[in-house]
Amino acid sequence: MSLEQFKNRNVGTQNYVKLDLDHSPTTGWCQFKQVVKRTFKPELFVGLGVTFREMVNALFRGKMHTTQYPFEKLPISPRYRAIHDMLRLLESGNYRCIGCGLCEKICISDCISMETKYDENQRKEVSEYTINFGRCIFCGYCAEVCPELAIVHGGRYENASEQRASFSLFEDMLTPIDQLNLQQEYAGFGAISPNADENVKSTPLAY
Amino acid sequence: MVSTIFLTATALPEVIWIGVIIKAVLILAVIAAIAGFGTYIERKILAFMQRRLGPQHVGPFGLLQLAADGIKLFTKEDIIPQHANKFIFSIAPVITAATAFIALAAVPVFPDFTIPFTDILVPSIASDINVGILFVLGMMAAGLYGPLLAGMSQGNKWGIIGSARTAIQFLSYEVVTGLSVLAPIMMVGSLSFVDFNDYQTDGLWLVVYQPIAFVLFLIAGFAETNRTPFDLLEHEAEIISGYVTEYSGMRWGLFFIGEYANMITIGVIASIVFLGGYNDFLFIPGWIMIIGKIAFSFFFMLWVRAAWPHVRPDQLMWLCWKVLMPLAVINVLITGLVIMI
Amino acid sequence: MYETIAFYTFAISTTILFLITVMSKNVLYAMTALASGMVMISGFFFLLGADFLGVVQLIVYVGAVMALYGFAMMFFDATRDIKEKHQNPALVFLLGGLMALMFVVIFSAPIIGDNVQALYPIVEGVGNAQAVGMVLFTKYLVPFEVAALMLLVAMIAGIILAGKKMDYSLTTSEAADEEINVEEKLQADIEREKGEA
Repeated sequence: MSLEQFKNRNVGTQNYVKLDLDHSPTTGWCQFKQVVKRTFKPELFVGLGVTFREMVNALFRGKMHTTQYPFEKLPISPRYRAIHDMLRLLESGNYRCIGCGLCEKICISDCISMETKYDENQRKEVSEYTINFGRCIFCGYCAEVCPELAIVHGGRYENASEQRASFSLFEDMLTPIDQLNLQQEYAGFGAISPNADENVKSTPLAY
Repeated sequence: MVSTIFLTATALPEVIWIGVIIKAVLILAVIAAIAGFGTYIERKILAFMQRRLGPQHVGPFGLLQLAADGIKLFTKEDIIPQHANKFIFSIAPVITAATAFIALAAVPVFPDFTIPFTDILVPSIASDINVGILFVLGMMAAGLYGPLLAGMSQGNKWGIIGSARTAIQFLSYEVVTGLSVLAPIMMVGSLSFVDFNDYQTDGLWLVVYQPIAFVLFLIAGFAETNRTPFDLLEHEAEIISGYVTEYSGMRWGLFFIGEYANMITIGVIASIVFLGGYNDFLFIPGWIMIIGKIAFSFFFMLWVRAAWPHVRPDQLMWLCWKVLMPLAVINVLITGLVIMI
Repeated sequence: MYETIAFYTFAISTTILFLITVMSKNVLYAMTALASGMVMISGFFFLLGADFLGVVQLIVYVGAVMALYGFAMMFFDATRDIKEKHQNPALVFLLGGLMALMFVVIFSAPIIGDNVQALYPIVEGVGNAQAVGMVLFTKYLVPFEVAALMLLVAMIAGIILAGKKMDYSLTTSEAADEEINVEEKLQADIEREKGEA
């Protein structure tokens, strides 16, 4: 199938399959015939059969559809923009942020604030770094502009907490040093979710 | 005909008051528990049919969900709207629940049995009146005053629409229920449930002779218990909640206990009148059979709810008066002719 | 003993309920009292051992009063009291009182004269329904059939009255459109006449 076939929007000339719908009955006799036909069609029982089949599928063939959310979570797409992660350098374990301040500049809702100073090696050090999540609109500009891939959007979407400060400090977003080996590199903007293969289904057009 | 009545009159062993009280307590406890438990079963089965898990977290397999719901309903604020007719508003749910249980007084649930090591005989019916089936149907009809009064007293337009639908739906389907059980009544020649049961002891089940009456009775039963293909009274998409719109807390809960008790009553009537009652079947004892039949009819109601869509009010009336009622009348006529010949 | 208690309970509650039916200005109270009064009356039938009639009373009047509720729903606001018009309360009181007195005399005369006898006493072993059927289809066959005929006439009349214009829809039918046009024309005529006057 070539691409042109999809671009052809001319409805009249394509091979559409027309549904064979009956006309609504006009006379009393036609109505009666329709009632009799519908009465003796097993459609209602087909409906019962479908629901029963689904129940058997769910109970005995492991096709239960429920995700018991707080206990199990579906993998989230890398494109999802949730609470930010601050990444570390894998070699030294030091944080990647070089204190350039680009994220603070580009932030359109003005929610990032950072203070930097020179440390003893005359290297920029981040002394304060907070993101005000009451204001953040999760646009992703900060991650896009970061030259060092230091700030990226993570997958933490459960934002309920007792205090807003609980996850807006630099240390909270920073990868814990003991979990450095688990640190995920940012997959890139076009990346697909890890369970994408399972989610691929034939579209209804295939039936 | 007369001889069968004599038989039942003489064959009944002595029933003492303790037996009746035990039976009444048994019915109240078992049916009230099942009626409450029905909410759990309904949610679970509907969930399975939609490939969900249903209530899961309160107790093992969510079994204590019932207790959680009960606590919630009991402790919820009982709101009575300012411009409602307060007295009628308060008694309407009681009517539904009370009549549902009064109807069960004349329904045989288990066969007669004697309590082991004593001489106390527990009869199959708490009160064996000769016109049992009419009494039960009449009591269920009286129970419809609950929704009607609830809708009219709350001063809410959804309530009024709900009670108007109650009136038309139940007045119409009363006719079909009555006519559909008339044919089996003619065959058995009695209005007593015990006679219905005894009639099927040796012979085939009545559903074999009266398949049309059985189907009609089931359809009308769905309409009278306000179950899904005909649950226009509280159709959420159209009229919010119909007659229960303004109710909260335990008053709301009483409506549902009544509804589930009615479902069980319809199940009991269907199994005794059409499906062979509490007779032994091959090697299976009668009390297991009757429990199985009632459970299946309960399950069937939930199954239908999962599978079939609602009908419109005009379709409902059309179905009743133009299809079901003529069919029922023809069925009665044919039964009469066959009996005469 | 129990029967006496039951009788007086039913008697008092029936009287009170029907009094409420007559006295109350709220349509909902009146109707509900009427319905429950009917249920209470069926209690008397049960007390007398006429189970069948009691149940029939229950079924028939429950349905009948429900139809009345339908009218109440259409005509009144159920949550408010109704203003009643009393043209001549004294006359109403007098006539009503006289009628009540007459009924009491009519019904108590045979009791005083000891002439109350059961024409068809309950036979042991014959069910209630059978007994009623026997009487209905032998002695009272003609009144029974006449009543059936009258009900049939009433039913057909009702169908004709209600079903006159059932066949075409008000929104799509041309005939209905024409009717609307005619009515509009009439309305316009009336308004023009008013204007001319």
